[in-house]
Amino acid sequence: MDQPNTSPSQRRWVFVMEPERCIDCEACMISCSVENEAPLGKHRNWIDKIEKGAYPLLSTTFLPENCQHCSNPPCERVCPTGATYRREDGLVLIDYDKCIGCKYCMMACPYDARFVNEEKKAVDKCTFCVHRLDAGLPPACVETCIGHARHYGDINDPNSDVSKLLARYPSYRLYEEAGTEPAIYYIYSNRVIE
Amino acid sequence: MLDEKTDEQNGSRGLSRRQFLRWVGAGAAASVLASSGLGLLRPLSAEAAVKAARARRTAAPPTQFDREVATLCEMCVWRCGVRAKVKDERIYKLEGNPFHPHSRGMLCPRGQAGVATAYDPDRLKYPLIRSGPRGSGKWRRLSWNEALDYVAAQMLAIKNQYGAEAMIFSTTHNLVQTQFENMLHAYGTPNYGTQRSLCYNAMITANLLTFGLEEPGRDYSQTQYIIYTGRNMLDCISNSESQDAVSAIARGAKVVVLEPRFTKTAAKATEWLPIRPGTDLAFHLALIQVIIEQGLYDADFVNQYTVGFEDLKQATRTYTPEWAASKCEIPAETIRRIAVEFAQAAPQAFAHPNWRTSNFLNSFQTERAIACLNALVGSWAQPGSLQPVGGEETAGLGDIPQPAFPRVTAARLDGVPWKYPLVPLKLGVFQELRDNILTGQPYQAHGWFVYRQNPAHSLPDRTKTAEAMSKLDFIVTIDVGMNDTAWFSDVVLPEASYLERYDPLTVVDGTVFIRQPAIAPLYESKPGLWIFKELGQRLGLGDWFQYKDEEDYLRQQLAPLDITLEELKAQGYYHLPPTGGGKSKDLLFNTPTGKIELSSKTLADNGFSAVPVWEEPVSNAPDTFYLLSGKVAQHTQCATHNNKLLHERVPENPLWLHTTPAGERGIKDGDEVWIESPVAKVKAVAYVTEKIRPDCVFLTFGFGHVSKALVTAYGQGTSDSILHQSFTDPQSGSQALSQTFVTITKA
Repeated sequence: MDQPNTSPSQRRWVFVMEPERCIDCEACMISCSVENEAPLGKHRNWIDKIEKGAYPLLSTTFLPENCQHCSNPPCERVCPTGATYRREDGLVLIDYDKCIGCKYCMMACPYDARFVNEEKKAVDKCTFCVHRLDAGLPPACVETCIGHARHYGDINDPNSDVSKLLARYPSYRLYEEAGTEPAIYYIYSNRVIE
Repeated sequence: MLDEKTDEQNGSRGLSRRQFLRWVGAGAAASVLASSGLGLLRPLSAEAAVKAARARRTAAPPTQFDREVATLCEMCVWRCGVRAKVKDERIYKLEGNPFHPHSRGMLCPRGQAGVATAYDPDRLKYPLIRSGPRGSGKWRRLSWNEALDYVAAQMLAIKNQYGAEAMIFSTTHNLVQTQFENMLHAYGTPNYGTQRSLCYNAMITANLLTFGLEEPGRDYSQTQYIIYTGRNMLDCISNSESQDAVSAIARGAKVVVLEPRFTKTAAKATEWLPIRPGTDLAFHLALIQVIIEQGLYDADFVNQYTVGFEDLKQATRTYTPEWAASKCEIPAETIRRIAVEFAQAAPQAFAHPNWRTSNFLNSFQTERAIACLNALVGSWAQPGSLQPVGGEETAGLGDIPQPAFPRVTAARLDGVPWKYPLVPLKLGVFQELRDNILTGQPYQAHGWFVYRQNPAHSLPDRTKTAEAMSKLDFIVTIDVGMNDTAWFSDVVLPEASYLERYDPLTVVDGTVFIRQPAIAPLYESKPGLWIFKELGQRLGLGDWFQYKDEEDYLRQQLAPLDITLEELKAQGYYHLPPTGGGKSKDLLFNTPTGKIELSSKTLADNGFSAVPVWEEPVSNAPDTFYLLSGKVAQHTQCATHNNKLLHERVPENPLWLHTTPAGERGIKDGDEVWIESPVAKVKAVAYVTEKIRPDCVFLTFGFGHVSKALVTAYGQGTSDSILHQSFTDPQSGSQALSQTFVTITKA
């Protein structure tokens, strides 16, 4: 796990996902829900299933997803109250007290990462477990991932896990064409490591 | 603006997660206890909880806790190490213990959801005695003293009137098993029910007869080739082994999956072979045939460490890939190729011994063939091969003094060994035990003591189990929740959840681990160790329970070791001093010949084939389907469906049905369908998919609970056990769960 060794403004937190290692067990979802007390039925993270083919030639790919913490976040631009903001280390966060529940951000997010949290009376989403991050702990989803599919770290630190993974393997991001500069990188499958 | 439906409107009934985790805060819990007369009432403090939650709505979740308790998970039997984060006497979060070899710092979805088992509003809260007919849900609250006195009196009355053998004791693998066994042996009954004949009897007996140990370990670190035969490693998570499997796949190891269904393991595998159910044996016999015929076996290993090679060679001579292809519907060239690949990769290769192998009457032969296949290629005690592991879970710990058990002469109701001579006593034949409660042969049972188990729901042919229970005079169930067996019991005793109690210490890979309370037992629930001692004393069996309390039990276990209970509690683990020996015993086999028995005289002497042999399985008649059952990652057997976090992810179990037969029947995805087996007809919701053989349907097992006290899970999904017929393999005692055939019609 990476510990920050630079000032916040120099850091850029990202996730690197290895879909090949995701087994769709949903431990990340439950860990997140317990950690962040998401209401039952609402989730800050999820797993996309891409199923292809017909019997008996089938394939399924599992994509772990959550808020992409974009460098150019559409949700921030449309927020009329400034509730959604971007921290200097790149995390996109919500000031729940400022949220008026207009849901513009939900409409603007191309990743469908946001939901209404009835209990908070505010829109909610993945915070990158900022409270844990600031305490030196990995996000709850990363910590429990039994497939080691989820990684996190500072992409500006060349020695971080994520930088090493990205240096070694080709990767892609979701909806890059939207210009959102998302902070989740997916390693292409069917590779051999070590 | 915030007009989204609430959870309640969306159909996920009851309290939200936030509410039910919070309501148990001391004040709320007290008010709930005071306001509800019966242990079954649900908490009423939702409004208060919501108010409190809103007040904190901007607060970040805590990162500082009053304590982090190192303990052991019990959401399945893998027993991962857990760190429970506790603040204000509430467990906020469970995380994997990095020091435990089974979790390595990670928990699966069930482990993560453990808080919702502890804080399940439907938990049993007090001892209860039935005040209406069985299953009526009418209960009266008892004090522990009243309840234990009553249970002891009933058990003594049965013993005095009919003999101790009229009492059945059953449980599922757990850490209090030694005390459970003390209770049944000291009481003097031979009737010990376990879940194992519904699970892995075929695998265990086959490995005992071949290698002289129950279950070979697997070293994934360098393996290049794995064959899974129905072992769905990535849905049916065994945390550390599932981690290893994912890493091996990512590393590029070849994984072949024999499975009629496109499981998540199949999705990750190099090669998925949708084999015809019941014919895995033919596939493995053909691998053996090719490997012998082409001389691909490890001749040195076979000569030095096995017996019966010539017998095996003779017996498998005709099991060619072409022959097997006609049975299992996998092309002969594929079988031949896999045989060659597997042998070439060995010994960095293994055919997995699998786990729940209660599928067909020939599953024992399948497991024998797999064991022989591994032996032929020398997959033993090498990096990347099968491993000679085993050993007692309490090795190195102190014993609690106790006298010898009384001699028991009565025959076991489950037919071991008089009908099933090769089935180990500690495995038993559970379905036969149930059947003989009904037949009254060789004698009539009168009482049933059920501990942490749910046979009313798990045994095949559930209707028959209900009839058997109705023949008994007295049933007592001890559990955390009102499971289906408890629902039909006379007395129900609430056990503390695994997060609230001590259990006896356990040893894994030379390290002692502790299950200890993260919080005090909720309500009036009590630890199993306490319950057994109190009940044992009332039965006049106190000598078998010589410990003052749970901590004293653990202190006696620690007596020979250089660590105090306090130190162990703080650290969570203790490395035992090395015992020496190392790998010197790796190639000593605890069989009659001291070698790996490709040919077994024990089997021959009992009238069975000494070498693996083809046994033709039953196959489906036109228009009927094999009814398959299995697991999802989010549930454990029948035990977790009332856990709100897991229920939210997997609330029910739709029937997997292939697109083609669905189309022929006019069934669309999401339609209601009737499933009819020879013993039951039930409704299900169809999941129309390409991911299953067209001649098979599949249900995740454990759903369709009948206990109305499981408010979250009651009536959700479809029971597989009500549809299953009982078939028992005479060799291993294994129930054949995949050879019930069903018809499917649109409802």
